Parts: sequence; C-alpha cells; structure tokens
Amino acid sequence: MSAGGRRLIRYDFRERLVHALAAVSYVYLLLTGLAFWTPALYWIAVVLGGGYLSRVLHPWAGLVFALVVLRMFLLWRRDMHTTNADRAWRKAMAHYVRNEDDRVPPAGRFNFGQKQLFWVMVWAALVLLLTGVVLWFPEAVPGSLAVVRELAVLLHAAAALVTIGAFIVHLYMGLFVVPGGLHAIVHGDVAESWARHHHPLWLESRRDAER
Amino acid sequence: MTNGWTDIANADVVLAMGGNPAENHPVGFRFVMEARRNRNAKLVAVDPRFNRTAAVADAFVQIRAGTDIAFIGGLIHYALSRNRFHEEYVRLFTNATFLVKEGYAFDAGKGVFSGWDDERKAYTDTSSWNYELDERGFARVDPTMQHPRSVFQVMKAFYARYTPEMVASICGCAAADFEKAAELITSTHTPDRAGTIMYALGWTHHSHSVQLIHAAGMLQLLLGNIGRPGGGLNALRGHANIQGGTDCGMAYHNLPGYIPVPKADHPTLDAFLAAVTPKPLRPASTNFWANTDRFTVSQLKAYYGARATKANGFGYDLHPRLPQAESGGYENWSWAYIFDRMYRGDMEGLFSFGMNPVSNGPHSRKVVDALSKLKWLVVAENFDQETASFWRDDIQALVDKTPADVATEVFLLPAANFAEKDGAFVNSARWIQWKWKAVDPPGQALADQEIVARIFLAVRGLYEREGGTFADPVLALDWWYENPVHPTMAEVAREINGRALEDVRDPAGNLILRAGQQLARLTDARADGTTAVGNWLYTGMYTEAGNLTERRSTADPSGLGRYSEWSFSWPANRRILYNRCSADREGRPWDPARAGIAWNGSRWVGDVPDYGAESPPDAGVGAFIMLPEGAARLFVPGQFVDGPWSEHYEPAESPVPNPLHPPQSSNPAVRPFSTAYDVLGTADEYPIVCTTYRLTEHFHYWTKNNAYTMQLQPEFFVEIPEALAREKGIASGDRVRVTSARGSIEGKAMVTRRIKPMQVAGRTVHQIGFPIHWGFLGRGRQQGSLANLVTPTIVDPNSHAPEYKGFLVRLDRVGGA
Amino acid sequence: MATPLDIVRISASTPPAPGVRTQHIVAKLVDTTTCIGCKACEVACQEWNDLPPEATEQSGTYQTLPDMTARFWNLIRFSEHESERGFHWLMRKDQCMHCTEPGCLVACPAPGAIVQYANGIVDFQQDQCIGCGYCMTGCPFNVPKFADDTRRVYKCTLCVDRVSEGLQPACVKACPTSCLQFGTKDDLLRVAEQRVAQLRANGYEDAAVYDPPGVGGTGVVSVLAFGSQPELYGLPRDPAVPASVRLWKGPLKWAGNAAMLGGLFLAAVHYVRFGRKRAHGEASASSAQGDRP
Repeated sequence: MSAGGRRLIRYDFRERLVHALAAVSYVYLLLTGLAFWTPALYWIAVVLGGGYLSRVLHPWAGLVFALVVLRMFLLWRRDMHTTNADRAWRKAMAHYVRNEDDRVPPAGRFNFGQKQLFWVMVWAALVLLLTGVVLWFPEAVPGSLAVVRELAVLLHAAAALVTIGAFIVHLYMGLFVVPGGLHAIVHGDVAESWARHHHPLWLESRRDAER
Repeated sequence: MTNGWTDIANADVVLAMGGNPAENHPVGFRFVMEARRNRNAKLVAVDPRFNRTAAVADAFVQIRAGTDIAFIGGLIHYALSRNRFHEEYVRLFTNATFLVKEGYAFDAGKGVFSGWDDERKAYTDTSSWNYELDERGFARVDPTMQHPRSVFQVMKAFYARYTPEMVASICGCAAADFEKAAELITSTHTPDRAGTIMYALGWTHHSHSVQLIHAAGMLQLLLGNIGRPGGGLNALRGHANIQGGTDCGMAYHNLPGYIPVPKADHPTLDAFLAAVTPKPLRPASTNFWANTDRFTVSQLKAYYGARATKANGFGYDLHPRLPQAESGGYENWSWAYIFDRMYRGDMEGLFSFGMNPVSNGPHSRKVVDALSKLKWLVVAENFDQETASFWRDDIQALVDKTPADVATEVFLLPAANFAEKDGAFVNSARWIQWKWKAVDPPGQALADQEIVARIFLAVRGLYEREGGTFADPVLALDWWYENPVHPTMAEVAREINGRALEDVRDPAGNLILRAGQQLARLTDARADGTTAVGNWLYTGMYTEAGNLTERRSTADPSGLGRYSEWSFSWPANRRILYNRCSADREGRPWDPARAGIAWNGSRWVGDVPDYGAESPPDAGVGAFIMLPEGAARLFVPGQFVDGPWSEHYEPAESPVPNPLHPPQSSNPAVRPFSTAYDVLGTADEYPIVCTTYRLTEHFHYWTKNNAYTMQLQPEFFVEIPEALAREKGIASGDRVRVTSARGSIEGKAMVTRRIKPMQVAGRTVHQIGFPIHWGFLGRGRQQGSLANLVTPTIVDPNSHAPEYKGFLVRLDRVGGA
Repeated sequence: MATPLDIVRISASTPPAPGVRTQHIVAKLVDTTTCIGCKACEVACQEWNDLPPEATEQSGTYQTLPDMTARFWNLIRFSEHESERGFHWLMRKDQCMHCTEPGCLVACPAPGAIVQYANGIVDFQQDQCIGCGYCMTGCPFNVPKFADDTRRVYKCTLCVDRVSEGLQPACVKACPTSCLQFGTKDDLLRVAEQRVAQLRANGYEDAAVYDPPGVGGTGVVSVLAFGSQPELYGLPRDPAVPASVRLWKGPLKWAGNAAMLGGLFLAAVHYVRFGRKRAHGEASASSAQGDRP
C-alpha cells in the first residue's frame, strides 16, 4: 500500500459479500436480459448455455438479486438518507463530474450519487421483482388480466433500462474514475487519506466513534 | 327413412322434432346445412330443450315432453283449416277419399274410440275402425271427399279440436310461437315446395309413439311431401345398423323382411299364408304383400335347405310358432316383456349381444333384479359392462342385494367391434353399405358370426348326441358355409339376397335364372321351393353382377344427390319410397326442378319407380304398393290397437290431466306391468317433467370407455331451468338428486336458460332432462349414474317401446345449503 | 393445394431472404352459424397432433374446458345470448387465428421460435422456444398456452404438416357440417361474404365476417350472426398487438438501445476528457489542471 498512513475498514465482510452477490447476479441478469432484449445480443444467451437455460435461470437469478438487494437495503438504508451535506453536494455535482473534487462539499459514508444509485437499484429491483414474477409464470395470468402481462413486459424492460443506466455510471465510476473504489469493495479497506478525500464526513464520524 | 340423408339437401323446410339431429346425427345433419346454405331452407326445431339443433334453427318451439301429438295435431288442423294442404296430392295418393265404416266414432268427452268397453277398460271390438266395403270387398270412395264419412271429412272434424290455443295449453308453448312454426312448416303444401321431417327416439320412446309417427305421416301426406325429393318422413336410426337389425327380424313379431312371425294357431303353411296375406282393397291395387307366399317359402328354403320340402310346408312345420298368451292374443317377447318374464322367474338364460340391458333399461333396478333370476347369462361385448357385471356389489346395492345373492352364471365373451370385422351397415336411408375390416380384433375377441356359429355348432352337437325338446329347427338348419365356425359375411350376404335352387322361369316360360345363380329382382323369388332368399327385402344387393353394396360411385345424373350407384338401397335400389307421389296424375313431376320419377310416355324415368316401370300413370295403380289400398293411410283401419287416428294422450306420468279429455288422460290401450317395480308417481309427489337424451360426444354406454370422448363430457349432469334452480337454491356444479317413483340418480347440476318454465293448462310446469351415457364401468367418474334408474316400464301398446322420454320426478339439492 | 414452406417472417431475426415462389395465403373459415358444437374438431386436432386427452370436469356447460391448453389447441366455446330475435346458443371454434401481423412473433425474443410461412401460417418451433411466454403477451386473442412440464408454448399449427402436403387441417376434415372450410383466403372471404349476405337477407342484419384489420386480418376468418358484438363469441372487438408490446418492441427498444450506447459513449468521453480522479493526497483536478499534458 502506498504511504497513505493507516487504513480503515470501509466495508465489512458481510457488506462485501452482499455486494459481490448483487454484482454477480446483476451481471448475469443483465447479460441474459440483454439477450432477450435484442436479437443482436441473443448470442450472449447462447454463450451462457442457451436461450432456454437462460430463461430458466434468469428468474432464479432475479430472485437472488432481489433478496440480496433486500439485504443490502437493510444493511445500508440508515446510511442512505439524504442529508443537508448531500444537498450541498448535489449543487456541486458538476464539479464532481469534472473531477474538481476540492470544490465538492464533503460527503458522508456515501455521497449523494452513491445514495441515488442505491435508491434507484432498490426501487428498480422491486419493480423488476414484481413484474418478473408475472413474466416468470405468464401462464398463471388469466386472459381477463392480460393487461397485467402487458404492463409487466413494458415495466420490466423500462426498470431494467433504468438499472442499466445506473449500472453503467456505477461501474465506470468504480472501475475507472475513483481509484481505490474497486479495492474497497473487494477487500474492504481504504486508506485514511482516501477516506479524507472522498468521504471526509465519514472519516470524522469514525474518529468521533473511536473517541 | 322414406327418403335418404343426401336427399334432405333438397328440402325447403326441415322439421326436426322428436330428434336432435345436430346432436345425434351430426354427419347426416350436413345435408340440412346444405339445404340451408344452397336453398335457403328453413329449419324448425321442436323439442323439450333448446338443443344443438335449435342452436342453428330458424325457429324453435319448446314443448313439454310427451305432447308431440298435440303439436302435430295442431299442425294438421292448421293445414286443414287454412287450406294449406296439397288437395290434389291428397286426393290422388291417400285414403282421404275412402269412406269410413258406419259405426266408427270418437267420444271426444271420454277420449276413446268406438269399441271401448267401460267395464273392462279395453277396446273389445275394433271392427268399426275400418272402411266401408262394397260387395266385391273393395273400399268405397268419394273422390270429392265431401261425404261426411269420407276419411277427409272425418279427419277434419277429428282434428278441429287441436286449435293453436289448445296446442299451447297442452304443450306449454306460446300459441304465437306455434303459429309461426306452423306457417313455416305448412308452407310446403304447394307443389313447388317440399318439406321433410327428421325424427328419432324422441318420438319412438312414448306410450303413444306409433300414433305419433302416424300423425307425422298424416301431416306430410296432407302437405304432399311424401315420395318427393326434399320431402319424406325420415326416421333417424340410433345405431349404425339398427335399420338392418329391424329389417332382418330383430323384433320378436317379424321374420326377416317384415314377414309376420308364425303363430300357434297357424298350424300349416297354407293356414299361415291365408291369415297373413292381405286382400286388395281397391281394384287396381298392386297389394305387393300378395307375394307373401314367395317370400315366406323362399325364406324357409334359406333356413332349412333340402330339409324344406313341399311335404313339410317347405320347412314351415319345422319353424317355431309364437304361442298364444293366457291373457288372450299371442305371447309378447319384446324387450320390456322379456325382462318382466325374467323377473317373474320364467326364463332360464339370456344371450345379450351388443346390448347392455342394465343400462338400457327401462328401470335399471328391475333389470338388475331380473338378471339375478337367470341360471345363465351370456354377454358378447367389446368391453366389460354393467350387464356382464350386474352381480357387482355396487350394482346389486341398487336392489339392496349383494353378490352372494346372485346365482347366475355369467359368461362374458369378448367380441370384435364394428371396425374389427367385415359386413354391412344398413343406414337410416336404407342403404346397405358394405364395410371392410380395418384392424384385427384384439386378444381372444371374435367376430359375432363366429361366436354365434360356435355356439350353434356346439348346441347342434348336443342335440345330435343327446336329443332334446324341439330339436327340429336346430337340426334342420342348413349350415352350408365353407368354414362352419366362421361363415364369411359375403356368404351370408349372398344367402340373404337369395339364389335359384333350380332353373327359374317367368310366367311365359322363359328361363330367367339358372340353378345356382343369384336372384336379381324381388319378384324372382318363387313359392314352389325353387329359390332360397334370406330376406326378400334385400334381393338385388348381391346378384350375379357381384356385391352391389360395395359400390361407391358418386355419379349423380339427377343432380339431386340420388347416387343410385352408391351401395344398394332396399327395396330394389329405390332411393325414395313412394316416389310415384312425386308426380301428378299424368306423371309430370310436381316440381320439375326436383323430379323423383317422371312418365315419358312409355315408361317411368328417374329413380326406381314404386311399381312396374312401364305401368302408365292412368292405370290407377296406387303408389303405396305395400298397402292393400294402394293409397297412404290417413285413417288407419285395424292396424293399431289404440285407434285409427292419432289422439293426444298424456304420458303415463303427467303433471296435468289431459286438457282434451281429463277422464281419459293417458293412452287407454297401454297395459302396465304389475310387479312391485312397475310403479308410477303422481304429480303431487313428483311435480317435474323429465326427459332423457343422448349427447353428440358419446355413443350410448360404449364411449365411456374412451378417454377422448370422456374428456368431452366427463360426467353425468342434469339440465335445470334457471327459475327452478333458483326455487331450489341450486347452482351450476352443485350435486343434485333426481327421484322418480322408481329410483333416483345423482349428479352435477347444469343450470341453463335453454329450458324455460312452461304454462301448461294454466299452471307453471318445470321440465328437466339429462343424458344417458354414464354408469358403473368405464373411465373417469361414473358414480353409478344410470339414467334409466328413474325411467318407467310403461310401453307403447303397438311397438312396445318404453316411455323413456317423458315421466315425472322430484329434484333436490344434495348436501347442505 | 400443397404449399411449400417458404418463411416470410421469423421471430427475433433479420427478415429471411424473400422466396420467389408465388404462394397463396391459406385460411380457415369458421361459419359459427352452421356450427353445431359437436367437437369433432377438438378430438381430430388432438388425434392428428398426438395430444393426450385432458382431465376435465362438468362445471355447468357443454364446453370441454374453460380455455385452451398447451395440449388442447382447438376449443368450441359455448355461450348463451338473448336478443330481440329470441334465445341463442352460440358456438365458436376457438384456436390460433394465424394473424397476418402476429403479435406473438413480434413479442418473441428467441430467434426462429416463431415463424410465419408464405402461406400465412404462423407456427411455433418448440426447439427454438425458450419458454419466456412473451408470445402470450403479444397475442391479442390469448391463444398461446404454456406447458408446465416442457416449459414451452404451444398452439394450433393450422396443421402445417398436412397443409404442406396438400391436405386440409384435421379439424376441417372432421367437421360434419362444413362449418369449417379450408382454402385460399380470397376464396373463403367470398364464401363468407355470400353467407353473410344470406344471413342478412334472413333478418340477421348485423351478420358480418370477422377478419380484424388490427392484426392485418387473420388466417382464421369467422362468420358471425351478431357481427357487431364479437364479444358474445369470446372474440375481442378490435384486436391488435397490445400497445405496451408495441411500445416495448418499438420506441422503448430504440430509446433504450440509444440510452445504453449513449451511456457507454458518454463514459468514454468523460474518461477521455476528465480521466480518473486523483488518488488521495494528490492535488485536485481543478488545481492541477496545468499539470496535464
């Protein structure tokens, strides 16, 4: 590790495990979902064992994802309320985007963007779960309630698209933009200097807690 | 059928009544649809229920089960009173011009004909039901039909009581609906229109069924519809070969070809022939039954071969004769009487081939009890069924007994089904159609003729070795088949057609057949023992030209669907019976577009004519050659036991007294059985009218063994009108119980608007019904649902057919409310 | 009239190469006014297609089943109706309508699982089917049925195997009243119009041919005595591929694809323009701008 001084545990094992499960299930859902979304990507399903298998596993993966998101929600929901600091952060988001981090107000354990991602994923997961159950058992929907099926396909796709948008941002940020982000979610630890840079309020609260 | 299936496409109006052809004859029903599509024909359905036929009908009238004569009587009155009948036709072809014997009368107040004995409650002298004869023995006629005793005037007066209002009151329909139907039906009285009637067991299963068909015959004669393409009175037979069975002596009182069965007081052939051969009632009448001697002797020759000699009356002396009954008349061995005898312990054994009496009924409980009084029972069937298994505990429970109470020895012989053997079906259209075996029978199953042959040979062997009572008919039987244990159907067909035993010459002495040749024409049969004919009616089907029943030509030069080279139609390949009536006095077709036959100046052309092709139209030969009058019978002299006219009598169980004559509500000629099982219910205890029927999805009690048909109609149900269901708190799918005086049956309720409550004689009467197809054995939920647990043992006094189609019941919901 | 099986539409795939053979559009006529509800077509369908009998129960109707199933592709629907003309017991053969513009095919994500032949028959290829059931959503007639055991979707094939050999469909072959007829659509529409004219002349002024334009017409055309009330027969009034499916397979698809590609593109642009955030301890981007090469 670089000479950043002491290292802090940012994500405990449980959090990392939950995130990893979410990531794996989501990626599977994304890939198979994309295969069903457009014939141009149907080859993904073929690569992943065939369309039929993908159709069988996609709902189960969805169930795993939904449960994991639920766990994640229970784990992190207290950290995800929008605070005054977040409101200030939001106003300065353009600076954050331009990597002018010194003009960005301090963030807590999660910055406003991360919180938005969280809520987008939670709500989208709920919509995906509900519509997904309908799509899982289309035969269970009586003809008189065909509208339920019709709404389900539309909402499932729309909600998935929303998550994909969020996911692109999340992945890009974590892998490419924020150094140490990937390390943090994989190994759990961050340098104190990293924390000071990205989540200073969290660092303060950690210190307060240690005192 | 007087006409045929394909001919129905020529009709302008089709009356489906006493039958539900869309349901039970869906394939033949295509010709109704062709008439509708191609001729814009109108279909009128009259039934206790809005059925599948009604679903595609132009007019539907719901009537109370068992009131059809009132409806038809109303149509007759409608036609006569509004001059909607074909007068010239009636004059030419019916007995309307004949004078009725003095002394004939009908007491409209008492509801009985002359000859009724109030003391003995029976017709003791029916001699007045006849024509007035002249000194030569011919019936007197009045061509003007104005004589007060002319059949026409008597008929008019008789049916004047059947006003639309009276019809409505009896049948429980609206008078306006009746009149709308009547308008359509009688629209065929003009020469350029033709109408047909299709009926089935809904007419034959009543205590007045023969008179009902008589009434329909009268109506069609009045409208000028008999004998004409697109017309006719068409019986839709209930099995593929029931027509063939009837033709070939199935009924106890006929030999094959409707030759009366010899009776105990006909000791010799001559006595028999003298008793049964009719004498002509008009000078020019063909009186075809004058040939009874030829047909009888030829048939006896077919039975007994060389053993039939002039000395023994060509075998007549070997033939069984129907014994006289203790109660007068002759013994009755029709269905219901067989089981009554059996129940009384008067029978030792029963062969039941392709029959299921426990299910067929009537009154399954009486049948079950009767079977247990037999020593032995032989059932030949495709499947195990209720009769072969009548000893089972659940079936014995119907009569409060157990298998231990049954001593009957039962043999179930596996029989080949229709597709597993060659042979011929005679369809409703009288077409004798050859069929070929499609597959071999499974396992040990044998064709019927082999089962019969093996039993016969074994019994004959026993007689030969041990002797026995009345051995002659068995020992003398000419069993000439190449393989005695398996006569081929071709051999039997040739035998039925008939062959020359010696050279046969015509009256002029010309050789027409060499010994050994197959007969070609009905009239080739001889009374001198030189021909052998199994059934004269079928002569011509298997000639020297081969087996004509195998013909399958669809050539139709007539353009009327006559198909004269498709199989063989008895008699003489005539496609429409009484076709002389299709042409006027001069032999010109009433409707040139629908010519049956036509006189071309020297001969009749078209269909095979009723009588000699070269007999000119003005010779006065009547169209109805089988009747000694030569004319169709509106008034029926001395043939039926319950009257010369069709009168509406209520079913034996009726919710109301007969509105026409309450003192004589039901058919006075009916003789109920008298065992403890033969009970009738009253309207107080059993207020609901009930009828039974079949479904298109099933065939009798047979297809309950087939998973596909069972899927289509999986279980017994009762159709209940909405208003009655509301009254009883019954919803569709609820379990209900239908109870008659004879028993009860349980099943699912089907609440429907297809049966409506009726106003009968000023009262609201409800009517329910159920199909017959389930029982104890078979696939799926059978639940012991035998429809005939509730039907009465009352039978028609002429045909002895049971009254399955109109009786009284009570309806209850099963289980808590 | 044997018809070769050129394919004109195929699910989730680029359009197939157009055939040059002239082919008739085939159709089945269901004349409900001459249907007697005998169900011969139901069993003929099962027997030809080797489908086993269904477990059924009497529930107060003559109808075999409440709805078609994965192994019961041909159902006569019975309904009772009262009009000013009196009481009516309506019977209609329900089955796949073989739409000219099939919603099932639009909705299907599996390449080749649903095809439309040049003769108009819409056919499911179960070996390509992934069992998603989207076709059920795409169908405005609620026809495709899901089999729980094979987890594939099934429906009437219009006996494509028979038709391609010049035979008529099994149900038509079995129909005793010719209420079912098979032929080219042009011919059958003429027959249907004649029958409608006859019905109108007989007082059924409302009689009509049911060949709904919302799906481009159907390969199964019906003659209805009550033509303005197709619901009486269990038929939708104006069937069309559901709006949501069209939205999903149309605008949403293009918008979604654009958004996804756009998102990736924007990320790339961002990376090129702004790069990664400085690691902790490094100067922030705004103060280090000058350092950038």
